[in-house]
Amino acid sequence: MALPDIPVVAETGALTGNARAVLGEVETLLDGLLRTGEGGIVDIRGLPLSPGDRIWLLEQLGKGEVEIHLDIGGRSRILETAYPAVWWIEHCDEGGHLISEFIQVAYVPELISAHPDDVESGLEHLRNRNADLS
Amino acid sequence: MSDNRILETLAGQGISRRAFLKYCATLASLMALPPSAGKAFAEALAKAPRPSVIWLPFQECTGCTESITRSHSPSIEGMIFDMISLDYQETLMAAAGHQAEAALHEAMERNMGKYILIVDGSVPLGLDGAYSCIAGRSNLEMLKEVAQGAAAIVAMGSCAAYGGLPKANPNPTGAVAVSDVIKDKPIVNIPGCPPIPAVITGVLAHYLTFGSLPELDHLGRPKSFYGETIHDRCYRRPFYDQGKFAKTFDDEGARKGWCLFELGCKGPVTYNACASVKWNGGTSWPVESGHGCLGCSEPDFWDAGSFYKALSMPANPLKLAAGAAVAGAVAGIAISVSNKARKGAAKTGHETTTLADLEKHHE
Ligand code: SF4
Ligand code: SF4
Repeated sequence: MALPDIPVVAETGALTGNARAVLGEVETLLDGLLRTGEGGIVDIRGLPLSPGDRIWLLEQLGKGEVEIHLDIGGRSRILETAYPAVWWIEHCDEGGHLISEFIQVAYVPELISAHPDDVESGLEHLRNRNADLS
Repeated sequence: MSDNRILETLAGQGISRRAFLKYCATLASLMALPPSAGKAFAEALAKAPRPSVIWLPFQECTGCTESITRSHSPSIEGMIFDMISLDYQETLMAAAGHQAEAALHEAMERNMGKYILIVDGSVPLGLDGAYSCIAGRSNLEMLKEVAQGAAAIVAMGSCAAYGGLPKANPNPTGAVAVSDVIKDKPIVNIPGCPPIPAVITGVLAHYLTFGSLPELDHLGRPKSFYGETIHDRCYRRPFYDQGKFAKTFDDEGARKGWCLFELGCKGPVTYNACASVKWNGGTSWPVESGHGCLGCSEPDFWDAGSFYKALSMPANPLKLAAGAAVAGAVAGIAISVSNKARKGAAKTGHETTTLADLEKHHE
C-alpha cells in the first residue's frame, strides 16, 4: 500500500491565532520605521505558526509592486507586500528547499545593496579592464 | 588552526558575500538569535579562522552522522563543513587502517590544545571496554587520549550525551556518557536521537564566532536550542490550552490537528528545537506529521515507559482552558510575547544588534 492510498487526510490548515500577533508586530515596526528610520525583522521560522497560519499571513500582507530574485547559494526571493516597506524574504538552499523566511520592515532590504569592499574590488577590475582596452 | 579565514575560504569556493549573509541570517534564525544578529554574526564569522575538528564515532548506530551528513546537500548544515577543517572522521574519510591512525595522530600533534573533538556514541566500560574497539583499542582508551589535546568536546547525540540506547536497561555493555569519563574539559551535549543537524552547525558557528562554547543548561545543552520545551514552541499549543485533544490517531481531533498530549506526546517535558527548526530541511517535524514527541533529547528516554502513554500530569495545568475561553488571538499574543522573551538580546526589533549584544546573550 502506497502512502497516498491510506485514507487519512490531516488538516494542517487550522488557524491557531498566532499569525494575528505577527501582523501586530509588523504594524509596530512600520510605525517605528516612519518615526525613527529603524525598521526590523521578524523571523517567521522562530514563531509557532501552523502551515495554515503562514498562508493566512501571506494573504493578509498581499503583494506589492516589487519582486526581486537573487541567486546566492540557492535561490532567494524578496517580495514587496501590499504595504510599502514591508518585505517578505524567502531563502532556499541549492536543492530548492526553503531554509529561512523573514518579514523585513525597511525602505530597501539590506541584502540588496552592494558591500563597499565588493565595490572596491569591482572598481579595481573595471580599472584594469579599461587600462587593457586603451 | 589553519590560518585562512572563513570568508576567504568560502570566496575561493565561489560563495559570495550575499550568500554568506544569507547563510548567517539563516544560522541566526536556527540558533534562535534575534534576526538582526545575522549581520553581526556575519562580520565575526567572516574574520574567524577555520578550526581543526577531530570526530570519533564510538558505540553508536551512525544515525547521528547520517543526520548531519545526509541533510539536504548542499545545505545550511553542510556549509559548516566548508568552515572547519575536518581532519579525522572514520566514517567519512578515505583513509583506513594505519593510514587513518596516522592521520589522527598527525592532526592531534599539529593542533594540540586547539582542536575540537566531536564524539558520537556512548563509551562501553564493561569487559574493560572490549565491546567497542577501533584499531585494537577500546573507545575508553581512545577518548582519554584524544580528549587530552582538545580545546572543547562536543558530545553529539543522546548516546554520547547521556549513554542513550546502549545504556537502556539492562545496559549490557556498561555504556556511559562522554561526561562520565572526561571531567577536565569543557563539554557541550547535543542530545537527540538523532540530534537536529542545525544544532551542531550552530554550536560550531558559535565557537568560531566567540571562541567559546555557548551558554549551557544544567544538562550541558546549549540553551539557544534546548532552552524551551517542544511544548513551549509547538504550534498545536493553543489546542492544548483550549483542552482540545486527539484521543486516537484517526479521530476527528487528530484530523483537525488537535493536541497529541493524550496520545503520549512527551513535548511538555522535552527540551529540544524540533518545533521551530523542524526536520528534513525544515519540511515538517513529528508533531506536524501527527505523532507525539518521544522525548529523545532527554536522559534515559528509552526507559521512561511507553511512547503512547500520556504523561501523568500536564506540565502547565490546564487552568488556561477553564471555560475554554482562550481565544486564538489572545493565545497568539501570549506566544508572541514569549517569542520576544526568548530572543532576549533583540530587545526590540528596532535595534541593531552588535557582536557585544550577542556575547551578552550567550554569557
Ligand atoms: S502536548 Fe505535544 S502536541 Fe500538545 S501542544 Fe504540547 S508538544 Fe504540542
Ligand atoms: S519531536 Fe521529540 S522525539 Fe521527535 S526528534 Fe524532536 S525531541 Fe526527539
